Amino acid sequence: MAAFEYRQAQEIRDVFARHGIRYLFLGKSGAILLGYPDTTQDADLFVEKSARNGAALVAALRELGFTLRDNEAAEIARGKDFVQLKTGPFDLDLVFAPDGLETFADAWVRRVEVEGFPVCHLDDIIKSKKAANRPKDRESLPRLEAFRDYWLSR
Amino acid sequence: MVPASPAIPADWLAEFEAAAKRPLEQRMRYAFIRTYKPVLDDAPFRAFNTTREYRAWCEQNLPSWLGYGP
Repeated sequence: MAAFEYRQAQEIRDVFARHGIRYLFLGKSGAILLGYPDTTQDADLFVEKSARNGAALVAALRELGFTLRDNEAAEIARGKDFVQLKTGPFDLDLVFAPDGLETFADAWVRRVEVEGFPVCHLDDIIKSKKAANRPKDRESLPRLEAFRDYWLSR
Repeated sequence: MVPASPAIPADWLAEFEAAAKRPLEQRMRYAFIRTYKPVLDDAPFRAFNTTREYRAWCEQNLPSWLGYGP
């Protein structure tokens, strides 16, 4: 599988918009959209957990080329807290309940739009990484926090 | 509000400013890479009832050097 590309991010944006899906780019992929220079392997999406959003999400993923069995589609539609997808044109993590973030609605209010991509605010990305507190998060936080200060000052 | 970090080191600042001059498409081309992650990449689909369950699975199943452990 090739690395995630700008064109594929555009496809997510456009297909998800057509299906009316409420989601935000989160994690390092979100930070990269905001200008953070670093590397990552896949895209993380914070998706609002609701019956309507879940059903629309399954339809959108299939349109994007993800192969989903009925039981897998049901788990996505139900909004299991964390779903890893490697059955499509790119890898995708669907996060319905990210560490450190209370509600989707709160994160949505604080979101930042970049070329039509809805992205979690850097404060929320940092908050989530701090709450996850894995070695890879701890390693990346000082530079990410420095970028937050740079980004806010621009 | 997340507290501010100390002064930004000069080399990081240079990287941030260089990135800010690049269009998003170019930034993404530099940012997204693909390497094989053992175990994590070996199943096409995984779903976890809770994020806590996912974290526990990572800690128990992934090599520690991937950085998903405690």
